[in-house]
Amino acid sequence: MQIEKVLGRKEKRELESRIEKNYGCKIGLEKYNIFMTKEEKIWLASPSINFSIFDILKRCYRIGIYFGKLKRNNKIKLSMEGAMIVGKKATKNVVFLDIKEAEKFMQGYDVVPGELMEAETHNFVIVKCGSDVIGTGILRDGYVENLVPKARRMVKV
Amino acid sequence: MISDADAFMEARQEWRSIRVNTLKIDRDELMERLQERYEIKEMPWYENGLFIKGENISKNMEYYLGYYHIQEAASMIPPLLLNPEKNEIIIDLCAAPGSKTTQMAMMMENYGIIIANDSNPIRLKALTHNIQRAMATNCIVTNYDGRYMDKTGIKADKILLDAPCTASGKVIKDKKLLERWNYGRIRKMSALQKSLIRAACNLLEEDGILVYSTCSIEPEENEDVIDYAIKKFDMEVEKASLKGIKTREGIKEWDGKEYEWASKAIRIWPQDNSTEGFFICRLRKC
Repeated sequence: MQIEKVLGRKEKRELESRIEKNYGCKIGLEKYNIFMTKEEKIWLASPSINFSIFDILKRCYRIGIYFGKLKRNNKIKLSMEGAMIVGKKATKNVVFLDIKEAEKFMQGYDVVPGELMEAETHNFVIVKCGSDVIGTGILRDGYVENLVPKARRMVKV
Repeated sequence: MISDADAFMEARQEWRSIRVNTLKIDRDELMERLQERYEIKEMPWYENGLFIKGENISKNMEYYLGYYHIQEAASMIPPLLLNPEKNEIIIDLCAAPGSKTTQMAMMMENYGIIIANDSNPIRLKALTHNIQRAMATNCIVTNYDGRYMDKTGIKADKILLDAPCTASGKVIKDKKLLERWNYGRIRKMSALQKSLIRAACNLLEEDGILVYSTCSIEPEENEDVIDYAIKKFDMEVEKASLKGIKTREGIKEWDGKEYEWASKAIRIWPQDNSTEGFFICRLRKC
């Protein structure tokens, strides 16, 4: 795993403000070690992880969890876990689904949105079913484009 | 080896077991949600372990969201005996697919460091997938051949060595395992396990703790490996005990060898608790 940049305090604040702008909530990222790999992918690690450990561990494959990817126009595409961290407090760009649509969404299908919370069309949205954050998508005209990775999809019963 | 061999052969598992992922959901909340659709029973030896009966336990919303992990009940015990703490560096030497790694991350509440290592690049995918799904942020995944990882110079407070094995303890799930029983394979595994425990002993800090486990019932893969570590690397066996599960002592004599320390190790037999068979031993570096 090639770390391109370890985010300092200022860069963490910039990331927090990007999240706030997109999802309307303030998420404290100070409690994480955050770093960026190629293609502007953001990773979160426990603060106990000191990056000097990588001087010893050369064959490092992965650190912490994938949070999301920075995109053009100050947007951010969140991973499922990233969405779970942000989604609890998000007040903007949130789409709610009923249980039937949620099941389709978890299986990887595009779905018809239910209630929208300040959601902009053609932007990334956090998808929820009740209080559960079930993933992310892109709100299109009349439907939510599914961004659940194949490996995470729920197998159809 | 055992007096109740017939019971061993006839042991069956009616319940499956899951582990609540407390990094994502509270245990009682998950229980309440699952009880609407499944029969649920608490696991006497681990508060976050549950027995579950019903259809499609890997095809529901709670599983999809990573609120629980499907994990063999006996395999939840090695991390409990290791007892990782929040400020410690832990090495999980043969970590894939990551059930025990993520259990330890949960026990440490995402503090400390877990170095989750596996030599097999294909199995690393399953490991990273499970770490992501569990939201375990304190894990570093590495890809070393565990037999030589001590060459890195890293040191750990505690090590979990859940060694690759012939898996003969899984007979409760697959009776055909007995048809594939092969002594040559046991000897080969035993040699690999000794190489791994040698590296694990070298990776430990002074006074550090090593928990060795396998899901095999063969003494060559268990007591004989521990005996090798005691004699070659100044390791001392500590008494392992756990409430709520029937355990038996390790085997004290096998193939002309005597294992005086074996009463301190744990053997879990399928016929005793309807789990897989397991061997677990806790050692301290002197």
